[in-house]
Amino acid sequence: MSMDVSNIIQNDPMRMYRAKRDNTHQSVSSKYSILGFISSGTYGRVYKAQSLAEDAKIHAIKKFKPDKEGDVITYTGISQSAIREIALNREIDHENIVALKEVILEDKSIYMVFEFAEHDFLQVIQHHATTLRTAITLPVLKSLIYQLFNGLIYLHSCHILHRDLKPANILINASGVVKIGDLGLARLIYQPLQPLFAGDKVVVTIWYRAPELLMGAKHYNKAIDCWAVGCVMAELASLRPIFKGEEAKLDSKKNVPFQRDQLLKIFEVLGTPDEKDWPGVKDMVEYQNMKRLDPYTNRLYDWCSTRVRSQNGYDLLRQLFAYDPDNRLSAKEALQHKWFHEDPYPTWNAFQAAPQQIPPHRRITQDEAPSMVPLPAAPFNSHTQSKPGSSASMSGGGPYPSGGNGGGGNGRKKARLG
Amino acid sequence: MATDFWSSSHYKRWIVDRATLRQARADDLLYIDDPEHLDFLAIYFADVIGKLGKKLNIAQRAIATATVFFRRFYLKNSYCETDPFMVIAACMYVAAKAEETPIHIKNIVQDARHTFSQDHYGVKNFPSDNSKLAEMEFYLVDDLECDLTVFHPYRTLLALCKSDEGAQDASPADEEEAGEVGVGLTPDDGPRYWGTGDGQLELPPNGLQTAWFIVNDTYRSELCLLYPPHLIAIAALYLACIFHPATQGIVAARLAAGASASASTNTEPPPRRSSRQAAERKQPAQDPLEFLAALNVSLPLIATIAQEIISMYTLWERYKEDSVSAGAADPGSPAKGTPDSRGDDEPGGVVTPALLTVVLTKMREARLQDIAHPAGGRPGAVNKMLERTQAAG
Repeated sequence: MSMDVSNIIQNDPMRMYRAKRDNTHQSVSSKYSILGFISSGTYGRVYKAQSLAEDAKIHAIKKFKPDKEGDVITYTGISQSAIREIALNREIDHENIVALKEVILEDKSIYMVFEFAEHDFLQVIQHHATTLRTAITLPVLKSLIYQLFNGLIYLHSCHILHRDLKPANILINASGVVKIGDLGLARLIYQPLQPLFAGDKVVVTIWYRAPELLMGAKHYNKAIDCWAVGCVMAELASLRPIFKGEEAKLDSKKNVPFQRDQLLKIFEVLGTPDEKDWPGVKDMVEYQNMKRLDPYTNRLYDWCSTRVRSQNGYDLLRQLFAYDPDNRLSAKEALQHKWFHEDPYPTWNAFQAAPQQIPPHRRITQDEAPSMVPLPAAPFNSHTQSKPGSSASMSGGGPYPSGGNGGGGNGRKKARLG
Repeated sequence: MATDFWSSSHYKRWIVDRATLRQARADDLLYIDDPEHLDFLAIYFADVIGKLGKKLNIAQRAIATATVFFRRFYLKNSYCETDPFMVIAACMYVAAKAEETPIHIKNIVQDARHTFSQDHYGVKNFPSDNSKLAEMEFYLVDDLECDLTVFHPYRTLLALCKSDEGAQDASPADEEEAGEVGVGLTPDDGPRYWGTGDGQLELPPNGLQTAWFIVNDTYRSELCLLYPPHLIAIAALYLACIFHPATQGIVAARLAAGASASASTNTEPPPRRSSRQAAERKQPAQDPLEFLAALNVSLPLIATIAQEIISMYTLWERYKEDSVSAGAADPGSPAKGTPDSRGDDEPGGVVTPALLTVVLTKMREARLQDIAHPAGGRPGAVNKMLERTQAAG
């Protein structure tokens, strides 16, 4: 046995393997041409790209930020969030979920190639709030929510909790079809090896977080996604977040604090929950803290009268905002709700009845909602900028994790991978 | 997805046939003296993965997932061109994340170094640098084609078997598994993905546990690449019914009863079982074999899988951990002349991890040698297959 052979086995046993693999690797740039930069966040950046294959299709490429030690990019292990997003996306296939086309692992970075969606719910809200200055019309509102539930039914039937539904994560393609995106916080709940709480102490962006989570529930289920849809529906109807609370930050020991302000925002509209509405409330971790808050009565009906403009729409929202998760409407039940089965009916092109309501193509959007994704320990590297308008300080979180919004587009920023 | 095996990546891309398995080992066959050693290596690697998993105190299902990742990786790669120990550590690292029980990379590196450096594995050079493992993870995930959701037979076991007292004790085969708390989901939530089959099987205490252990053992073979997990589970249940003493009694009684009953019509009520069984169980137990037969699966296929499980056990019988492995620990030392390798020359002899470590090292060195000196003065690959043929002919 010659020295070099045993030397290789001692020092770099995978050299042959890597050489073989690197030889056959098809690079991102050999398959896609990068057209522009869509957005960035703590996870990395999202680019608009065109396939160099014959179909010349447009895609959104999510590039996870490579880890750095000093200035040297190094392998530090794929994040739990990336593993989740990859693993779940490889298994699912539904019209109302953003489709993953492929994943390319290259130069210590992960590139997820998704189907491209032109718009997102946040864009639609902001377009109506600032440009059109009118409410989203009922047919559009209903179609968006209907399709959102249709995608959510699929996720839930696959035993997947999304855990971060919010306007910026819900996309709409050019044909007006809703696409649920960003499964970075999603997970399978089928026979988990550990309680869900053990994995992630905090889930769902604060404004869309269900009361059982705010009250410190260790066990939760699909109902948290349905609450979030309720919040999204209310936000589409009123063009502003319905429960816009301030998030109390984790303390230095990473203890989850009592989310006083967020609960108050909810109680102001839905009233203080009692044991009649929610028998389990008295057993919740934060029950004593909750008791100390001023009592409120339910005024959802009044809230809806000017905003939702439909008796059945109010009823749907009321049932999505049930305090008791066991009484909350499931996605499946929601689709059977009367509201979807009366005029105006939902359409598969959400903007069919109102093409003028389509927001312009991706543009700079401001997003002040706090995010779920914690700030990295190290400051951003120079070319990964924070998105304008994100209020990281408010939440202890970074900008939106979604690829759906924010940032400069249309070639205003130099598009470069890297 | 979780309910729909038929649309899963597992079913669509990772169930292969025997020919594919053979093809995957083609290069390794060129560098191994005894082809049977490849089957023993399958046991050996499963053991290494299990040991690392135990050291990391990780749940059985995550160990199973790591093992499946390992097998899938070697559908595309050769043992002789890679470092299987590095691959094992990476499989464990990814599986822990895929099963939502992540482990910090430095713990994996530390425990891998400790486990692999034991005498019979003799890996003294496992890199302490985290980035080496992270690099391997990257290549591994790519080779796995990002298909990280794996179905296991355990789920079928739980769905098929009534979780009575015995099952409660049995299903968490390991203590860590006790953390398997559902969130408003029962194991049989949703339709069974292999089709019909109503009701649940009632096994005597520990019957399910026996099946559970058999499923654990199937990972020592390549069955997880060949058959859908629910079929493996049913084959394991079938074997549990045959091997497990308490179940054996029921089966024997049923067979006896069935023989007498088959003469008459099927509509007759089942004859009472033996007095001993009746005393043990108040309500008349169902016939486990009848239950299995009523499932909408191919019974010949179940029999085939059961046969393959038994073959694995036969092979495993000869795989001896605790033999005198001292002296054979040095992977560089030639195999011939060590006490362990002697039994290897006669068929049916004992095979030890230490011997397999030597075999593996030789394969890797020879392969590297060939690559380092392609078509040089030396003859190319020392074709062991040719050697064997010549020796036999």
